[in-house]
Amino acid sequence: MRRLVLISVLFACGSPPARQPFLLRVAMWGPLGKLTPESGDTDSLAVIAQPWVFEPLARFDAAGELVPVLAWRIAALQGGRFQVELRKDRTFSDGAGVTTDDVVNSFEGKARISAANGGLTIESVDRAMPIEALLTDVHIHRDHGGQVLGTGPFAVSAASASELRLVRRRTDPGKVDEVRILAYATPREAFAHTLKGDANLIPDLEPRWVEFFGGVPSLKIVRSPGHFTDSVLFNLRLSRSERLDLAARLESNDIRDAAYGPGECAETKSGTSPAARIPPGAALEVMTWGPFERLGSAARRSLGPRAGALTNLTPLEVLARLRAGQFDLVTVRPPVWPPSAISLAWHSGARDNLNGYSNPAVDRALDARDWAAARAAMRADPPAAFICTRDRLAVVDARIKNPTLGPGDLLETLPDWEVSQ
Amino acid sequence: MTRRRIAIALAILVALCGALPVSLLGAAGLRIIQQRGERASQDALQAIAAQAAARIEAYVAQQREMLRTLAMAVGSEPDATRRLADASLDAPSLGKMRLISPASPEAELPRSLSPEQMARARAGVEVASPPYLVDLSPAMDVCVPSGAPGRTVCATLDLMELQRQVQRIRVGESGYALAFDRSGRLLATGSGSLRAAVLSGEPVGESPIAAALSAGAPAPQRLRLSGRRDMFAGWAVLHDLGWSIAVEQPADEALQGARTALTLLGLGAVATLLLSIGVGYWLARRMLASLELEERFRMAGQIAGGISHDLGHRLVILQQIEQLAAMNDADYLPRIRDSLAAEVGTLRRFVRDFADLTREARPADFTPVEINALAESARAGASSYAEEAQVRLHVSRAPSELWIWGDRYLLERATLNLIRNAIEASQPGGAVRLRIEKRGSAAILVVEDEGGGIPDERIAGLFEAFASTKRTGAHVGMGLPNVKRIVTAHRGQVSVISRAGRGSAFTIWLPAADQSSSPSPPTPMP
Repeated sequence: MRRLVLISVLFACGSPPARQPFLLRVAMWGPLGKLTPESGDTDSLAVIAQPWVFEPLARFDAAGELVPVLAWRIAALQGGRFQVELRKDRTFSDGAGVTTDDVVNSFEGKARISAANGGLTIESVDRAMPIEALLTDVHIHRDHGGQVLGTGPFAVSAASASELRLVRRRTDPGKVDEVRILAYATPREAFAHTLKGDANLIPDLEPRWVEFFGGVPSLKIVRSPGHFTDSVLFNLRLSRSERLDLAARLESNDIRDAAYGPGECAETKSGTSPAARIPPGAALEVMTWGPFERLGSAARRSLGPRAGALTNLTPLEVLARLRAGQFDLVTVRPPVWPPSAISLAWHSGARDNLNGYSNPAVDRALDARDWAAARAAMRADPPAAFICTRDRLAVVDARIKNPTLGPGDLLETLPDWEVSQ
Repeated sequence: MTRRRIAIALAILVALCGALPVSLLGAAGLRIIQQRGERASQDALQAIAAQAAARIEAYVAQQREMLRTLAMAVGSEPDATRRLADASLDAPSLGKMRLISPASPEAELPRSLSPEQMARARAGVEVASPPYLVDLSPAMDVCVPSGAPGRTVCATLDLMELQRQVQRIRVGESGYALAFDRSGRLLATGSGSLRAAVLSGEPVGESPIAAALSAGAPAPQRLRLSGRRDMFAGWAVLHDLGWSIAVEQPADEALQGARTALTLLGLGAVATLLLSIGVGYWLARRMLASLELEERFRMAGQIAGGISHDLGHRLVILQQIEQLAAMNDADYLPRIRDSLAAEVGTLRRFVRDFADLTREARPADFTPVEINALAESARAGASSYAEEAQVRLHVSRAPSELWIWGDRYLLERATLNLIRNAIEASQPGGAVRLRIEKRGSAAILVVEDEGGGIPDERIAGLFEAFASTKRTGAHVGMGLPNVKRIVTAHRGQVSVISRAGRGSAFTIWLPAADQSSSPSPPTPMP
């Protein structure tokens, strides 16, 4: 009996089978670029890795509320300021703790920071830039020997022109251990390599491409609400009542059905008012570019007798004509999430305010961070017709058990994904 | 052979006679079902492929017809460009329709049509390109007459529907469809693992077959492609487009039903066989026990009859002697004495014959026995009887010693029995010969006489108990059955050849043994 117990103990003490590290290979197309903490560098594919390497002071949760990340407490102050207290347990990838200087350096040129009451008071330099956007977009980093370090769960282990490798700083069993971002020349190449098994994640798919991955057992499709709404921007020389009629007309399901696939727009599900009539007047030109050709056609057709020319231009040409005010209607894609993002597009004098929209009621609501009131004020004096918000889509390895897409950055939840071996 | 062994042999024989033919018949039937199943699966795949091809062909034809109708309706209108753009919204599968004239910029021209094709299109001829990929879905450029001279309406047909239709085809659990263009390039497939080839343009295993099929060659209905499962396939060609459709299903999956039936039949046959053997064994044992009991009663009756007969005969003689003795005549005393002595001798032999029956040959008691010596010993034992009957007794020895394993006493009793019978069958002055020889691995002992021979009708029952015709009182009819019993217990055989008027020869075959090795152990006596 004693021997039996001893054998049982010996067997029980035996080492478990070695766990294979889980490697996630992300297939993308275009120039890989360099991973930096700067936000807004959308030309670089490497930017997708930002949330895994760098952390901001706070993030938005799914409801659009601020959730502390590198801060342990955030409090809104009067005058659009925030008070932040830093967490003591977070370290950069070289092991050093996060200091006030690191925060000040990271926010340089974007916010005024002062120490007060054991914390930091942060105030946006640009009045049109909501402080929430700064808290979530500015990644706290430190320059160390020519390298930029972050506090995120992953660190860059190798980089080349076509591949960026990131490894988890501390092993976390059951989670993704290593991520490789693979930059291919074309989407077709990226998809072909994914179907062959060379990659197991494709972020940001067009809805029409999703069908192609249906029935592939090694992959699954995940989606999350979109951050941008395909819209038709109005020239503000159109009267408010004209814009209201145009918005009512263009925001109908007829336009969505003509311009998009069935069920592609979130707005279709919620339902909208029936298409309104447009009062007589001068013909309206519809200016469009890139991916909006069908939306432009549908918008022009919906104008009926007031339909003017449909002009298809390059993005730069569109921008030039917007700045010169030489347009009637133009297809655009303004942000709608996080809620504070509407401030970037519609606050008077905001950087991305393309048609010079200025509404004191909207500004007041935005300054007060009352997003619902701002949206209501915009509905009464519309700068654009908001037509279609499409889901964000990704194709992910089927072994990942909870592949949710982040409410903010598309793959910001990747470090928390659980994998089955 | 023991009753148990006989029962098992009988049971297996009966079971095999019953279950085996049924199993073979069933297996043959299933083989036919399997072949028919294979043919039916291939026919079904063929039908699905034909149906899919017809649907796709109809879809493409419908798109082209719609384009023709639209082009003729608005192509010659002054605002044709705008009206075509509006129509594109209602017919998204036609892609972007545009009016092409000699003045159209290069960017407006369909990308996959050559200048020659465009010239023909502007001259009023409908032209179409081979399929190509736009983003991820197949597309095809088509230009149709516009109704206005020098102008044509072109569209890029979105063939995503082709992909949908092909991807939607599912056969069983893992069957799927593939669509190929004229060159064998994969255009769409329901197989996730092959879909990369749609994008990369790399040929798949079926590509050469599809290309050949488009050129008119037949396509195989069973595919054995390297690195892939053995597949059944159905093929169809879209003659207008030159495309081909394959619908495939793994052969093992298609034949799953027949395989399951075959397995069940096999298991059923084995179970039936085992059950038959079990039941047959049980019944055979019961029957054998019953037969043995019957045989024992029969044998007991036969022995009782024999004993009654023989002892009755002796009793009659003793009664006669008693009557002589009752006469108190001294002259009869010698006769009475001789008769009593003869009867005592007879009864002694009678008792000895029965005593022989009670002794069993047990392998544990076996010792090496030299047959020549055994024969000499038997001759010595029978010599007085031979002299009395005036019969010569000869022994013809084997050239060398010939050994067997056995019970010397019983073997000598068996030999003596044969010699005594031979002497009794001989006329005075006749001769009885004992011949010893070796044939192969057998030691042979032959007892020959020159008597009148045994009638043919008696030969068959010669070794049965109480079958003797010499039931004169000195024989109980157990001699030859006892010889057979002894020889069989030594794994040997006994046989007789007899010719009327020329005598008989009884031959005992026993397994010879080298002196150095043990012979095989004898079977226990029955």
